[in-house]
Amino acid sequence: MGEILPYRPPRAREEWTAYLGMVIFLASWAMMFGSLFFAYGMVRARSNEWPPADLPSLPLVVPAINSVVLVLSSAVLQLVLVALRRGKAQLAGPGLGLTAVLGMVFLGLQITTWRSLFDDGLTPQGGPYASVFYTLTCFHALHVLVGILALGWLCRGALAGRYSAARFLPVRLWTLYWHFVGVVWLAMFVTVYVV
Amino acid sequence: MEELQHIHPEPTSFIRKWVFSTDHKVIARQFLWAGLLFLAFGGGLAMLIRWQWAYPGEPVPAVGSLLFSGSGGSITPANYNSIFTMHGLIMIFFAITPIMIGAFGNFCIPLMIGARDMAFPKLNMLSFWTFLLSQCLVLASFFVQLGSGAAGWTTYPPLSTNVGTPGLGQTLVVAAIFVTGVATIMGGLNYVTTVVRLRAPGMTYARMPATVWGLWLTAILNVLFVPVLGSAALLLLLDRQFGTQFYVAGSSAVRGGGDPILFQHLFWIFGHPEVYILILPPWGFVTDLVSFFARKPAYWFKGSIFAMSAVTILSAVVYGHHMFVTGMNPMLGQSFMTLTLIISVPAELLFLNWLHTIWKGSIRLTVPMLFALGTIFVFGLGGLTGLFLGTISTDLYLHDTMFVVGHFHLTMAAAAFLGSFAAIYFWFPKMFGRNMNQTLGKWHFWFSAVFITLVFCGQLAAGYAGHQRRLFDPYQYTFLQHLHPLNRWTSYFAFLLGIGQLPFVYNFFRSVFMGTKAEMNPWEIGTLEWTLPSPPVHHNFDTIPTVHRGPHEFANPEVKKALGRDWIGQAEELPKTEKAPAKPAAAAGAS
Repeated sequence: MGEILPYRPPRAREEWTAYLGMVIFLASWAMMFGSLFFAYGMVRARSNEWPPADLPSLPLVVPAINSVVLVLSSAVLQLVLVALRRGKAQLAGPGLGLTAVLGMVFLGLQITTWRSLFDDGLTPQGGPYASVFYTLTCFHALHVLVGILALGWLCRGALAGRYSAARFLPVRLWTLYWHFVGVVWLAMFVTVYVV
Repeated sequence: MEELQHIHPEPTSFIRKWVFSTDHKVIARQFLWAGLLFLAFGGGLAMLIRWQWAYPGEPVPAVGSLLFSGSGGSITPANYNSIFTMHGLIMIFFAITPIMIGAFGNFCIPLMIGARDMAFPKLNMLSFWTFLLSQCLVLASFFVQLGSGAAGWTTYPPLSTNVGTPGLGQTLVVAAIFVTGVATIMGGLNYVTTVVRLRAPGMTYARMPATVWGLWLTAILNVLFVPVLGSAALLLLLDRQFGTQFYVAGSSAVRGGGDPILFQHLFWIFGHPEVYILILPPWGFVTDLVSFFARKPAYWFKGSIFAMSAVTILSAVVYGHHMFVTGMNPMLGQSFMTLTLIISVPAELLFLNWLHTIWKGSIRLTVPMLFALGTIFVFGLGGLTGLFLGTISTDLYLHDTMFVVGHFHLTMAAAAFLGSFAAIYFWFPKMFGRNMNQTLGKWHFWFSAVFITLVFCGQLAAGYAGHQRRLFDPYQYTFLQHLHPLNRWTSYFAFLLGIGQLPFVYNFFRSVFMGTKAEMNPWEIGTLEWTLPSPPVHHNFDTIPTVHRGPHEFANPEVKKALGRDWIGQAEELPKTEKAPAKPAAAAGAS
């Protein structure tokens, strides 16, 4: 009477479950970032001049480089996933390490951006323009930091030979997370820095 | 089928079994205790508010000299602001949410869909402990200088910025909202995944009990809209602690500042789904309970599910009706009004389905059934009064009056309150393995249902007469002085409502520790949790059952003929009718 289920090994089922959990988590987090963008749009729409004439304008070159760095890191991570699927597990460790390093480069460049703007007089207390810039970029950077820590942990696991074509779920989940962080950055780059 | 889900080994140490447990049934009980404790706390605050409106400026009897020693036992304006603010916040985020979603979401979902635990048991445990942290933050806020949060439960800026409420208390409360939001997201994530992935074979979506549907839809709303509240709270914290300028405006702002209205948008984008987050679980409980105790299949069950899903979707696009008087574009206001009024269509459908289910049923007026009927009654009143607030022309007059307070208390408070108690009385035997006293339960019901209706209808009447909400001493205004007797009577009803909870407190504690042992299926119904011993074993199901039918299979003549009873378990095989009954009645679906 009950329908006949195709046999799936329990691990595949559990991996699907974990994957779905990650997707729902990222959907939730997309709403969180979406709200921050909503706040930005509204504050900007209500202000008289954006950016204020006496405040330093945001740099474009360094964030553009940063966008490339983050896209590159996402690509590397995706290649790691492909390599794992095809059974080339020995490539995973270096690939994950490279991704983490690219993440750190991103964070380093971001810190120099904050420092130079801060020195030029753009402080978080300096009105809505500065509030938006620091809040959005810092909140995003926090997520990059979490990603780097996770990638470091994955890298260690990969070097210890923990992942193979049959088992690489953590890599898969964190890849999804890392892509998400990258997409948020691109949206931020366009709306906060360029427009 | 055992291959589908692992059986986690049962923990043996006290700490892993009862404190840091990953068992959904233990976590459910933890949420229940934490929620009930704060329900009593929030209820106590409500009593203080009612005292103030009945006898403004007079010392509070019994507790006044203890709580308000500085002012001779009477409530000061500053105290009053904290009291009504924290009453709202505690009730919504720290009492009703943990009881309905934390306790019953955790308890019912795996048991009713035939799963051994949640999809992510460790995340589940983390969710509870994060929630507990947020409760601690709330408690701490009462003990700092300048007292707890005092900007109203909606925490609107500029009142909630450092300009309006400079103390640490408000910061702690906003932080608590953020932290409890994180806990809710973790829980919601778990519920959504669990329902999608861990349903027993044969448990299709249409065969899921309405309780699971309600909790699942709630979890979806939680996952999507609590983060919006999270970022609203985050920006408010940044404004308060780091001097950013999102909500500050006017003379206290730097470079023109941000916009206080921004907070209202973010708050209500979350806030309106939140209303349905708090009502969808009771809708689910009621849909199941009226069928269970009218001994009839739920009338047009798929229609009820459709209605609940439609409300879930619509709830995301009506938030503007909270902001009709904030200078919204009239065109936008009209759209929000139309969408808001459309919600009454599926809500009405649900209502008619309940009535049709009860119609000509052989009704068993057990305590859970009484509470379910009470929920229908108060929610009906709340829904009808909502029409006046959803319509712009009447809302302009009624906005920010006690009418609003009466309305949302009838829906969110009364319906959620009675719905929660229906669930507590119904699942108590399964949760604690003991029975509650039904006579005391009936006393509790009549006190609760009658007085909760009178209290909030009194508020509706006062609001219709022009009584604004949140007034410290309404009778400073000559045009409100004639409402003093009405408010005093409303307060008496509120005190009686408070006293009416004592039978429950006694009954609950006595039953947890000394109640008679519960049978496996005391209510004689067919959903999966009642095929398990009371309380269920650690891994719930020795064998994951295969489900053959929906949850409301009552009064089926074939079943009556084959088994000699008016119900059949969801996973029970119906013996061939030609033969004599193959199994005794007690072997419900266990094989």
